[in-house]
Formats: sequence, C-alpha cells, structure tokens
Amino acid sequence: MSEGAIKLSIRGLGLRYQGPPVLRDVTLAIPRNSITAIIGPAGSGKTSLLRTLNLLSVDVDRARVEGELLLDGADILRPGVDRARLRRRVGMVFAMPQPLPGSIHDNLVFGPRLAGVRGRRELDALVESSLRAAELWDEVKDRLGRSAFSLSGGQQQRLCIARILALGPEVVLLDEPCSGLDPISTLKIEQMMRALCGRFTWVLVTNNTKQAARVSDRTAFLLQGELVEEGPTPLMFTTPKDARTGDYVEGRFG
Amino acid sequence: MTRARVATLFTPRRAQTVARAVLWTMMAGATAILIFILAFVLGRGLPHLSWTFFSAAPGDSGRTGGVMPIIAGTLEVTLLGLAVATPLSLGTSIYLVEYTREGRLTRAIRFGAECLAGVPSIIFGLFGFVLFVLTLGMGWSILAGALTLAFMTLPTLIRTSEEALRAVPASFREVSLSLGASKWQTIRKVVVPAAFPGILTGLTLGLGRAIGETAAVIFTAGSSLPRRIPTSVYEGTRTLSVHFYQLAREGISADNASATAAVLVLAISFINVCAHVAMHRFLRRYR
Repeated sequence: MSEGAIKLSIRGLGLRYQGPPVLRDVTLAIPRNSITAIIGPAGSGKTSLLRTLNLLSVDVDRARVEGELLLDGADILRPGVDRARLRRRVGMVFAMPQPLPGSIHDNLVFGPRLAGVRGRRELDALVESSLRAAELWDEVKDRLGRSAFSLSGGQQQRLCIARILALGPEVVLLDEPCSGLDPISTLKIEQMMRALCGRFTWVLVTNNTKQAARVSDRTAFLLQGELVEEGPTPLMFTTPKDARTGDYVEGRFG
Repeated sequence: MTRARVATLFTPRRAQTVARAVLWTMMAGATAILIFILAFVLGRGLPHLSWTFFSAAPGDSGRTGGVMPIIAGTLEVTLLGLAVATPLSLGTSIYLVEYTREGRLTRAIRFGAECLAGVPSIIFGLFGFVLFVLTLGMGWSILAGALTLAFMTLPTLIRTSEEALRAVPASFREVSLSLGASKWQTIRKVVVPAAFPGILTGLTLGLGRAIGETAAVIFTAGSSLPRRIPTSVYEGTRTLSVHFYQLAREGISADNASATAAVLVLAISFINVCAHVAMHRFLRRYR
C-alpha cells in the first residue's frame, strides 16, 4: 500500500490500564475508504484498540498508551491534540444503541451545534442528508420531533450512525454495532456500510466472524493483546498464514 | 414446628400472598398516618382561615389581623437561603461526581456532609446567631436567617444532587464526548439536564424543610412581628412556623395558631405540587 492510501497508521501501539498490558506492540495500517474488521475472542483488546483511535480509552478509561497513531500522517497520541476536532473526524458508534435524551432531531444536531453550525436551514439539511445516508430518513421523516427512545433498537442504532455522519467524519469506528440487533437490522447496517464505503473509512470491531467476512475489505485478528495477522478478508478466511487465525475463523476456539 | 412443617406451610405461593398483604398493610398504615396529620391540621385551621387572614397584617401580637407580612418574610428567608444553597450544592456535587475519582477525599467530604445533615437545626441556629447576628453584625435579619438555612440545607442538597448526577448513565457522557463535546459541554448539555428531575426533587425537599424550620430561624431572623412586608434583607422577620410557635406557646390565640399551621401546610403542599408539575413539563419536553 502506498502512503497516501493509508488513513490510519497504528505503529507499535501498547496500552495498559492499572494492571498488565492490554495491547502489545500492535502495528496495523488502515486503508482509506475501506472497511477494516478487527476480530478476536473476548478480552483480546479489540475494543481497547478501537477506543484508542478516538482517544476515548485515554480520556475516559484512563488508559496509558505508547507508540504512534498516525491519522493522515499526524500523530494523535502526542500531547495537546484537540479532542473535539479529533472526535469529529473520527466518529464512534457503540455496541448498544445510545440515543441521548431528546428528540430524533435533537440527537442529530447535538454534534453539529457544538461544532458551531447555527443556521436552522443548514442544520435541517444536515439532518436530512445524514438520515438518508443511514437509510433511516423514510422511516422517521414525519416524526423528527419524537423521542429518540421511541425508535426500535435497529432504528436507534442507525440514528446513532446518522448522528456521527452529521459531523462529516473521515473515519467511523463501530464497536460491535450489531450485537444487540436482529438479522434484518444487521443486514441494513451492513448494506449501509458498503454503500458508504467510498466516503468514509470504517473500522469495525465484531465478535461475529461471519459479519467480518461479509462486509470487510481487510481483517485484523487480535489475540491476547497482540496482532496475530492481518490482510485482505478473503485471504484471512481461506488461507491464513497463522494456524491460530484459521482456528479462530473456523470457530475452533474463542 | 419442624423445618419441614414450616416449609409446607409457607409454600412460595402462600409466602407471596402473605408478603403482599403485609406490605399492603404497611403502605395503608403510613398513608393513614399522613392523612390523619393533614386532616388534623387542616381540620383545626381551615375554619379560622379567611381572606383577611391571608391579606392583613397582624395586630395585637397576632391576636387579630392576619399573616400577610409573615408569609412574605417566610418566603424571603427561605428563597434567599435556597438561592445561596442551590448553586453551592450544585457546584459541589458536580465537582465531586465529574471531576474527582472515588477516593479518600470524596469519602471524607461525603461523610462530613452526612454528619452535618444529622446536626439538630437548633445547633445551626446557635451557630448562625454567633456568626451572622453577632460577629458579622447582621443583627436579627432576613439575611442572617437565610444564610443559616442555606448552611443547614446544604448537606442534604449536596447529597441529593450527587445521587442524581451519579444516576446518569456513563454512556451518556461517552456518547457526548464522542460527538465532539468537551467535558464541560457534556456536563452542561447532557449530564445536568438528565439529572434535573432528581436535583429538583432534592431542592423541593430542602425547600420544605427550610420553610418549616423554626429553631434555626428564631435565633437568626428573630421573632419580631413584621407590620408590613419586609423590604430589606437587613430587616428582621418572623417566619410562619415561628409565628405558630409564639401564638401557641404564649397562649396568644389558639385559633390563629391553627390557622397559621394550616397556611404552612397548604404552602408546602402548593410548592410540592408546583415542583411536580415543573418536573413533568420538563420530562415531557425532554424525553
């Protein structure tokens, strides 16, 4: 891969909370405008890795990190990085749908308002375009003023994705976004990811190896805090280099 | 009875029926006590209530006339007290919940607040008398009474708003941060609004306690009968509960004492209803 094709470059990333290291010397390049899946058994450090890409692990979980994390070539682990700006560029969708209290509209304009978008027309346009991108517009366009909690779980999760898209991110991090959803809602989200692949760089943490196989371009396999192997998804699932990868994707452990 | 006999006697199903009956009885008992007290106070007071009693100034030490300036004085002392205590308690609880990690310091502060909450109000009265009335030279005044009430309600207010803030799910904070909000923006726009109903409940309880307070204000706001609505915080006043105490204790007028008690109970109910309505309005708009 050429340098310009890489959106996020993780170099020698180590991470620990209070105790022993959770991630050790992880090096991984995430290509621009693609879907990268991170798989691995529970406790392998997938979520810690994902939450470090927008520094949530550092700010909320008080993780200590070492190494480099280059976003378009600039290290975001160096001190003094503007968190608000970073998180608008690198959005995050959590495992369980997490609407904020308030209406559907409130949820969508929360981020843009903080970013300084004030105009009513501008905000309305953002609401519509992001809901359309998340394929939720037709279902909610007549009830934008209703509580976000009135939506079904699958709709809430697409609302959360739309809420991120309204910020115009470059990277979208998804932390097992379909773990609480039914197969149809899952399918909708996967279709949306594929459809928007040309516009964003997606990083998807998933416990569902089949999902990784279905949607991702590249797959990285983490085991006990170390990156075992990464590569194009078809190769990872057919001819992995490491025996442990083969065992995991075929469901022999984990 | 052997254990086996007991076991057959109390099948889970029967135990459930019994538990429910016992719980119902307790609930009914507690409700009956509340209704009895209300009926007792209002039953004695309401017959002596009249428009004049609400609107007139007291005369002849409270034997004649009404309680209008006393109502005003009570409101001034309590609202001023709450106006001091609310921002202080809110700031303290936000700092404790959002900016400190659970540790020795927060435990010490919480323990101190709990001890203070248990201190009898007459001690606060004495403290206020020495500090505000004498040392700071405020004299018996609305200001001294309000500050004393503020000190007295502070621990409870801190505790209730702390609980309310802690009850806000951590995920709300994470979501807000992940959408580019700063910590302060998260607190202001997400955490405090989500905790608002709980904070308001605490404020209502504090207000109820402050309005009904006698011992702490008799030493600090004084007990002189106001002839007109107090217009300066440096004037002394008599609150409704102090008025009731004086009328009843000195045997001035049992009728007017009962009427005062009824006014007090009605006022507190009115405030609670208002807080309730405000909370529901807010929840409807917010959820």
